[in-house]
Formats: sequence, structure tokens, C-alpha cells
Amino acid sequence: MIQIKTKQTGKKYWRSLDQLAQTPAFMEWLHREFPSSAEEVIDGASRRNVLKLMAASFGLAGLTACRRPVEHILPNVKGVEDYIPGKPYFYATAMVHNGVAQGLLAEVNDGRPTKIEGNPEHPFSLGAANVFQQAAILGLYDPDRARSPRQDGKDVDWKVLDDALKTLSGSLGQGDGLRFLSESVTSPSFAAVQAAALAKFPKAKWIQYDAISQDEVRAGSQLAFGQQLVVRPRFDKAKVILALDSDFLGLDADTVLSVKEFSRGRKVAAETDEMSRLYVVESRFSTTGATADHRIKMRASEIKAFVSDLAAALKVGGNELKVVGQGDKKSKWIEAVAKDLGANRGKGLVVAGPRQPAAVHAMVHLINQALGNAGETVTYYKSTLEQTRPQLEAIAELAGELSKGQVSTLVILGGNPAYSAPVDLDLAANIKKVATSIYVGLDVDETAVACKWSIAEAHFLESWGDALAPDGTATIQQPMIAPLYYGRTQAEIVAALTGYKDQRPYDIVRNYWTAKFAKGDADKLWRHALHDGVIPNTTFAEVKPVVDAKKVNGAIQPAAQSASGMELVFTPNWATWDGRFANNGWLQEIPEPMSKITWDNAALVSPATAKQLGLSTHGWMVKGYKATDTEGHSDPTQAGNFVDMIQIEVDGRTLEAPVFVQPGQADGSITLALGYGRTECGHVAKGAGVNAYKLRTSKAPWIVADAKVSKIAKQYQIVQTQEHGTMEDRPLLRESTLAEYRKEPNVIKEMLEVPELVGLYGDWDYSKGNQWGMTIDLNACVGCNACTIACQAENNIPIVGKDQVNRGREMHWIRMDRYFVGDEEEPQAVMSPVPCMQCETAPCENVCPVAATTHSPEGLNDMAYNRCVGTRYCSNNCPYKVRRFNFLAWNYGTPEVEMMKFNPDVTVRMRGVMEKCTYCVQRIQETKIQAKLEGHRPIKDGEIQTACQQTCPADAIVFGNINDPNSGVSKLKKQKRNYGMLEELNTKPRTTYLAKLRNTNEELEAKHG
Amino acid sequence: MALIFPKTIDQYVRIGGALVAVMALGGIGAYVYFSHPLVADTGYSPVQPVPYSHKLHAGTLGIDCYYCHNTVFKAAHAAIPATETCMNCHVRVKPQSARLEKVRNSYATGEPIPWIQIHKLPDYVYFNHSAHINAGVSCVSCHGRIDQMMEVKQVKPLNMGFCLDCHRNPAPNLRPVEFVTKLGWQPDRDPEEMGREIIAAKHINPPTNCSGCHR
Repeated sequence: MIQIKTKQTGKKYWRSLDQLAQTPAFMEWLHREFPSSAEEVIDGASRRNVLKLMAASFGLAGLTACRRPVEHILPNVKGVEDYIPGKPYFYATAMVHNGVAQGLLAEVNDGRPTKIEGNPEHPFSLGAANVFQQAAILGLYDPDRARSPRQDGKDVDWKVLDDALKTLSGSLGQGDGLRFLSESVTSPSFAAVQAAALAKFPKAKWIQYDAISQDEVRAGSQLAFGQQLVVRPRFDKAKVILALDSDFLGLDADTVLSVKEFSRGRKVAAETDEMSRLYVVESRFSTTGATADHRIKMRASEIKAFVSDLAAALKVGGNELKVVGQGDKKSKWIEAVAKDLGANRGKGLVVAGPRQPAAVHAMVHLINQALGNAGETVTYYKSTLEQTRPQLEAIAELAGELSKGQVSTLVILGGNPAYSAPVDLDLAANIKKVATSIYVGLDVDETAVACKWSIAEAHFLESWGDALAPDGTATIQQPMIAPLYYGRTQAEIVAALTGYKDQRPYDIVRNYWTAKFAKGDADKLWRHALHDGVIPNTTFAEVKPVVDAKKVNGAIQPAAQSASGMELVFTPNWATWDGRFANNGWLQEIPEPMSKITWDNAALVSPATAKQLGLSTHGWMVKGYKATDTEGHSDPTQAGNFVDMIQIEVDGRTLEAPVFVQPGQADGSITLALGYGRTECGHVAKGAGVNAYKLRTSKAPWIVADAKVSKIAKQYQIVQTQEHGTMEDRPLLRESTLAEYRKEPNVIKEMLEVPELVGLYGDWDYSKGNQWGMTIDLNACVGCNACTIACQAENNIPIVGKDQVNRGREMHWIRMDRYFVGDEEEPQAVMSPVPCMQCETAPCENVCPVAATTHSPEGLNDMAYNRCVGTRYCSNNCPYKVRRFNFLAWNYGTPEVEMMKFNPDVTVRMRGVMEKCTYCVQRIQETKIQAKLEGHRPIKDGEIQTACQQTCPADAIVFGNINDPNSGVSKLKKQKRNYGMLEELNTKPRTTYLAKLRNTNEELEAKHG
Repeated sequence: MALIFPKTIDQYVRIGGALVAVMALGGIGAYVYFSHPLVADTGYSPVQPVPYSHKLHAGTLGIDCYYCHNTVFKAAHAAIPATETCMNCHVRVKPQSARLEKVRNSYATGEPIPWIQIHKLPDYVYFNHSAHINAGVSCVSCHGRIDQMMEVKQVKPLNMGFCLDCHRNPAPNLRPVEFVTKLGWQPDRDPEEMGREIIAAKHINPPTNCSGCHR
């Protein structure tokens, strides 16, 4: 027997509280062959359905088997210049998210967009895209989208709508009682339409409201600088970063650039390389907190006091130091952070999240200015689309007017405010008091139902538009396909209503820009703008503002707040954002990065708070889980995570919500994600989560200081992927500190001592030709899940639904493992994406009885779906548990419109076959053929990008030819941080990891385990 | 106890058993035979909506395959020509012919002509025309003498064994690229030897692993 030694690092890695506590139920579950009843047939009712479906398909097979079906080829009638059937084309476009645009490239296959990539030319994408952008394809083909105009809940013809708009337009007069309610206007051409509308109807009002509003950020700027400025942090230039309740690598990032820039400062090639240091103070355990070198959990309402103390410790402002010097953990922390920031003047950076009050933002500006960071690591721009009025104030005024009957015509442009506006404004009921209410939206949602008219909106991939990046860089949003349901854009409806000079969306956008371009060159510049996805010289003017220190100090003064009540914090979420993506199955099924919950939201509480409230801290399978039935068999219908439910009361309004015990959550603080519990929605969103908007008032839109919480006698099944594929206690994930790595670069390799391993089958010669390999840099990865969705879109991976995820049947080819490190009270976390390792000596291959999985000469672990008979031996023998089995016909019955999402270069798998990561073999083959056609030239390094690599905002994934010593991947594999997961099994994985390093501060180091 | 069945029943049981066995074997044999691509797919020659004769156009008139199937050198698909391509000539040639009515209708209305697909590979096979044509595999290797067919007929089984025969030994099916669309072309020397020379010159190394064709 080979002796494998692991070097104990003294750190404890765990995935859940149950694993940490080794509860009996968890141990039983862990030792089952397949996770959580994966091998049991589905319950009775759906089993009958499957049998019916099978009978039907056999019947069809019987009829059609004798004669081959006739298939038609329908060529074009007129040739299209330069168009080659079957070849994908890429067009530049943009998606607006969180109020700003990010440039994208859309892949179009024979007229249908199938994949989104980042636009490498766009300064806020640089080729990367996030989960919401990757999932936009599914949103476009969502069969539940609104398909026509509706009048009083009934579908009507577009002609009827056009006539009604014309009549209405003539009767508006001066615009008395006319109100427009839109989200933040981020499009210059739309702003022109808006301005023209308000000029024509001078008595009309235009209200802008976002559910995930930046009100406090704007107010903070106003307070500090006396004007509204766009703050642009430069995470790549900063050496020391302090994030105050700011999830700037996750949900608070408006574009992927913050991750891109931050990861640049974290790339360590040689031991001498510098690396930035990140401190995080937050109430919820975010992915930014997981990436942090030092993290302290703190109630969101205490951050104001924290920043005040920090300013005092830095001798910024003039406030008395209150806490520092008392020797507790917090004061020690402030001292150490202040010292570090002070020592890195001009190279430090403090950022605050949008949930924090204006005073915190103002103080952050003051600190950045005082430390000389302003102008270095953070710059300021004057926006051309500024909003002077606080959004909450504006919408509250609108609600007042509505309830008093002062509004005769209300035009709502997207945003679903009936669902997402503050609950005390009761917008859904107030809208009904308006004589003419019109809603333009993608779905038949809560607002569409409340309005007299609702109009199907065109998706951004099917309509003309334009939008600005955070720094003002303009991008034309090009359509990829004609509107599937003849939907209209918001600008188009307003233009029709107000008689704007241009009526078609294309004219509105084109004429706006060509008027700005130099005469004569306008056509050429327009074409360039479309091609590049960026309009040059459109950035906002940079300003060098001065902070009004006295005002800021005055605002931060009453820092001390009561710390007695239970705090409730609202956040957007990774699946539905503010509720708008609720019907997107890809996003719903993606496990939330930290809690690993899918298809639901839950009230996140810390273990200590759970104890205080009398809730079970070890939820997983303790409650409601029957380990065995009377005959000793596990009962699959009972398996799962049944958690306690609580009732939360805010201002007399109550909500029942399931509780999830989240290590790392601040004590006395509950986090509840917005955007779930939709009522008027498509079939995917039905029943997912609870509606946190029911507790969100205009008084406390982000942080409720004193929520009343009580346990109720109900339980709820939460489904997570947390334990799926748990691997035994081995150094799968290796991390160290920068200081240690510098002292002893071999520390990573030495974590595992393996004697020379001998294979059973002899070695294959992999020294010739292209040999594909991959590295994943755990130091760069922030766990944003973009790779998982990119892979899902590229490789036609189905979703399976909550019930099937509970059975361990999720299909993601690249999963994000999240491990907690250290103790339950103040844990750290590490992220690790795990795709197929493409082992050179793959254990899956030699157990396949039908040779459906074999090795290619280029080192790929090939999977031939049509050969697979579904024994699942391969999955059983895979030590990484990366193979996915089609337990059911997930793609059966896909609506016709949704079928347009499929990538034509990848087989759509059927029931009963195994699948897994292929290193995007379709992209490899495509490039190889292209290189062959171009005279058998060698393939350039970086020419082939896997889908996960291409979209990764952190550039953590690198793919290439390991036979070429100069390729990026070869160079990375030579690093001393490089290690193979489970390499002691002699699997010789082609995918290897670069270990995580934490750049710890020695003064704080002692406290962390 | 008395016997329920007389002894003579034995022989009927034996004969019946043998019959069932023969029928079962015959059934399996018939299934294997009739479902084999050689039998099931070769010879498939559906009636096309327009009675287009490859024999006339490609054979007698000598129009190059590439004139109509114009993406074959640069893309996976050998595109079926647009109606416009037919009309390039037929606005002048036989502009009134009754047989061309569907073509003219298509051109006028914008409705494509519903050609029936003959050579069809399963969905999990990703065949690329450009990779083969540029290597010097002639159209004739898979499609036969199209230039002699009034109505196109599948003449090769196009099953995996057919593909692999050539992928394992491509030499007999290779020719200089300029002759790939000349279906009747014969080399003036040993075809095997010429094939080997092309393999060496172009580094031809056809894949025989799964992901070469299945993705």
C-alpha cells in the first residue's frame, strides 16, 4: 500500500455546519453511493407521467421506424452577401444592469442569438460577462414572455393599441395629470425622447425609480462634494482595499470590471510579486468577504460608527476617537486597518456599499481624499444623465398623487414597480385609481396586471438602443433578431405618445448619434460604432472635487445607534436580481455562492442568533429527515433540508420566511434577499422563495433597525447543492499566506507527499501535437458563477428543477465548491470551480463496458453520447464527481421558441446518457479545422478559449497547449502554486489549480485559525 | 395421476418451439439486415419538388458543383443554393418552362423551395465539408456520380464504418484539390501512391477518436 502523507495545516475545511458537527444524518447521507436518493425513481405521480411519455414515444418510434422521416432543406430565396449557413457571426451590443451598460458580443447562429460573450473592446467588459448577461439568452427565448398588447387583461391586436395611443396622444393637452414612471434612464437617445416629451407636455412629470436604488450613493456624493459625481474605484491600482458592506466583487458590482481589476492585483507569478490586501466589514457573508484577506462580521447599522471610528483613528475629520484603545477585537481591527491604510497613502482605497447611508459614503470620500487616494485609486466623473431628485422621494410623491386621484394618465416603463416599490406606497392598488394606465414590460407581471394597458416590450437582444458605461462610454445596443412577438421598446412607446420626430427605434437611436458625429463622416462613424460596440470620445469629464469635511463630520456625528433590536437587511440576489430574472431557469438553478441554496431565498442568520431565537442550527436533514424506514431503506421523499420558519414583523407588516443558518453572518442581523415570491409570473418563477418587498418600506429600504422576529411552528424545504459531491478529508483545496509562500515557495507542493506512482496500464505518449490543459487560479477566483452559466449556455446543459436538485441530479458541468475554513464563529471561505479534470489516466474510462468514454490523442477525455448505455459506472469511479447523468429527459418538451437557445455545435443529450465537461471540444475542433484550412498553420496560444475561460471576469481560468512551453497555461503550470486535485490517485489531471494565497496582516493574523 | 396431455403432444411442442426459435432468429436477422445503413439508407431517392437533373446540369452542361454549392470549401455545410442562383440562368434559359414554375414562384413570393434532404447524418455527428474537400476528398467519395444521376440517390451507406474506413486509410480517396469536383477524374498513375504523397504534403491525419466527429 502506498503511503500518502498529508501535511497538516491546522486548518479545518468544511462545507456545512452539519459536516462540522458530524451529525448522524449527515454521515448516513454522505456514505450513500449516490447523493440524496439520486438512484431512486421519482415519486408515483411523476413516474406515471414518465411511463406515459415513454409509451407515447415508443408508439411514435414504431410508426416511423419503417420509413425514414422526410426532412426538408429550406435555402434562402435571395442570396445574402457574405452569409455562410451554419457559421456563427458576432455582433456588438450592450446590456444595462444596475443602471449602467456593459458591452457584449452576441453569437448569432443562422439568425438566432445563442450565446453572449463580453466585448473585448469595451472598457468595462474587456471580454468578460457576468451571470445575468450570460443568462440573457434564456430570457430572450422565455416562452412566458408577454406576446401582445393587453387591454383590461385581454390580448388585443397591435392595431388596437396604435389607435388607442393616437387617440390618447391627442387628448393630453399640456400634460396635466400625465406621469411617466421609469427606471433610471441610462440611454442618451431615450433621454432625448424624454426631454422632448417633457417639453411638449410641460405639466407632466417623469419619475425614475429603481428597486435596487443608488439613492444613498448619490446623496453621499452630494453631501461630500456638493454635487453628484460618479465614483470610479480603481481596484487594480490599490494596494490596500477596505470594503464597508460593499460586495464589489459580487452583487454590488455594476459591471465585471471591478472583478477584472481586482484580480489583476491578486495575480502572483513569482514569489517576489506584490499582491493587494483586502479588508472586508460586512453583515452578510458575501463572495467579497470570502475573497478577503481579513474579514470582520458586523451589523450593517454599526458600520456608520465603524467608519467614524476609522476616520478618527486615521485622524481624518476631527471626531473624537471613541472605541480605539479599549483592546477589543473591533478596536484592534480598526487600529490595524488604519495603520495599513495610513502606510499606503495614495495606494489605499475605501469603498462602501449602496445599502449604507449617505453619511458613510461621504465619510469614505473624505477618507479617500485625506489619504491621497482620490485621483489615484479612485477618480470622479460628472455624469450627463444625473438624477437630482432622490428616487424614494419622487415615487412617494407619485403614490400620493395617485391616491388623491390627481393622475389621469400613468405610463410605466419597465421595472415592475407594483411588485418592487416600497410596500407602504401601495402602488398596485393606487395604479388602479388612474383612468389610463399603460405598462411597457417584458412579462405579464404584477404591474401589467394592475394596469389597464400592458404592452409587450422588446428584449434588449431584439431592439435598437444605446446606453452608457459607468464612465460615460457609449455603446449602441444592436438587435440580434427581429422582435419575436413584435414587442416595442420603451422609447418607441413614448415617441408614439408624444409625437417625437422619429418613431422607429432605429431612427431614434441613429439620428441621435449621427447628429453628433461630424458631418460627411456620420455614416462611417455610425458603422464603426456598431462594429466596435464603443463610441469613441464619449466618456464623462473627469473632475477633481474637494470634500466639505465639516459637513461630512456633522452628518456622521450621531454615530451611536441602538444595538438592541434585530436588524433586517435587504439585498439583491444572484438569481433574480430584484425579481426581474425570476423566470430564468438558469439563474434560479445556480446555487447562491455562499449558502448554495437554489430556487429559493431564505432569511440568513448566524448560528448564535439562531440559538438565541430557538432555531435549529444544524438544519440539514435533521428535521423531517427519516434516515431509514421500517424496512431499513432510506425514504427519498423525506430527504432534504427542512428548516425552521420565522415570522418577521416590520411596522406591523409580517412575512413568514424560512431560516438558513449561515456561518459568517453578523449576530443579530438577518439578511433577506429581494426578488423572490413573485405572484404574477411565468411557470419557472412560481413558488420560488418569499417576497421580501412585503417588508420593505420607504422609511427603511435597506436596513431595518428593529425587526420583530419569532419562530413559528412551520418548516420549509430548502434545497442546496452544498454537500453534493462532498470529498473526504484530503487537501483538495490548498491555500497559504503570501508571507509563508515567500519564505517557503514549496509550501503548496509539500502539503502532500506522494511516493512515485505506477500506473496499471503503462504510459501513453503525450509528447507530440497539441496537448490540452487548464489551470484554475484560486487566488483570482471570486466565486461569481459566471463560468457555470457560460458553460450551460455553450453546452446545452438543461435545468432540472428544485425537486431534482434535491435528489442530486443537477447538471452543471462546472460546479463551484465553497469551503468554510476555521471556526463556526468567524469563518473564512474558499471558492473552487471544479470541472472535469481530463485525467490522463482517467478512472472513468476503464470501467465503461461500452467504451463510450475514451481518450483522445490530444489528452481529452471524450464522451460519445450515442454510445452511452447509462450504466453510471464511470460516475461511480470518478473521484472528482464531475460526471452528470440525464436521469430524465430534461430536454423533452422544450417549447419551440426556447429551442432557439441551443448551440448547434453541441449535441442535445437524451435521457439515460452520461455527460460532462469536454473542454469545449466543439471550439477546439472548429479552430483546428480553421487552422488546417489556413495552410496547416499551428494553433496560436489563446486562440481557443473555453466558454468558462472566456467569460471569467477574474481571468482565473487559462486553457491551452501544455506541449508548448511558451503557452500561458504551461507557464502557469510551472508555478510553485500549481497542484493537481487528488493527484495522489495517479489520475494525472490535465486541469490543475494554483493555490490560494491570503495577503494577511501580521497584526491581525494571530486571531485567525 | 392420469396424464392431462397425451404423449403425442410432445412433438408438437418441439415443432412449435423450433418454429418460435426460427422466427425469433429470423426476426433478429431481418432487423439487423433491414436496419443496416447499407440497406436502409442507400438507394434513398425521394421525389424532389422541382425535377432538377444533376445529370443535365453537372454532367451534360458541365457546371461545376461549386457554382451552386458555394460554401463547400469554407464551411461545414455545402449550402443548398438560393432560388436566386437558379434564376441567374433561368431568367433567360427556358424562362417559360412549366417544370420551373415552382422556382419562379419561389423567386417571386420569397417562399423557399422545400428540397428534400437525401444525405443525412445523425444529429450527434458533426461533419465538416471544408475539412474534407480541402484535404482532397472528392465529392464522389461520399455522393457517387451525381453528374450521372437524373434524380439524386444515396449510393454510399454513410454509416460510421464507412467514415472510419477512410479515416483509417485515406490514401485511396485523396486527389489534388483542383480535381475534387471533377467526379469522373481518374489519376494517370497509381492512386494509392498519389494519395500517400498528398498525405505527406498536407500532413493529413484524420481523427479516429470520438470527439473528432461527436461533440
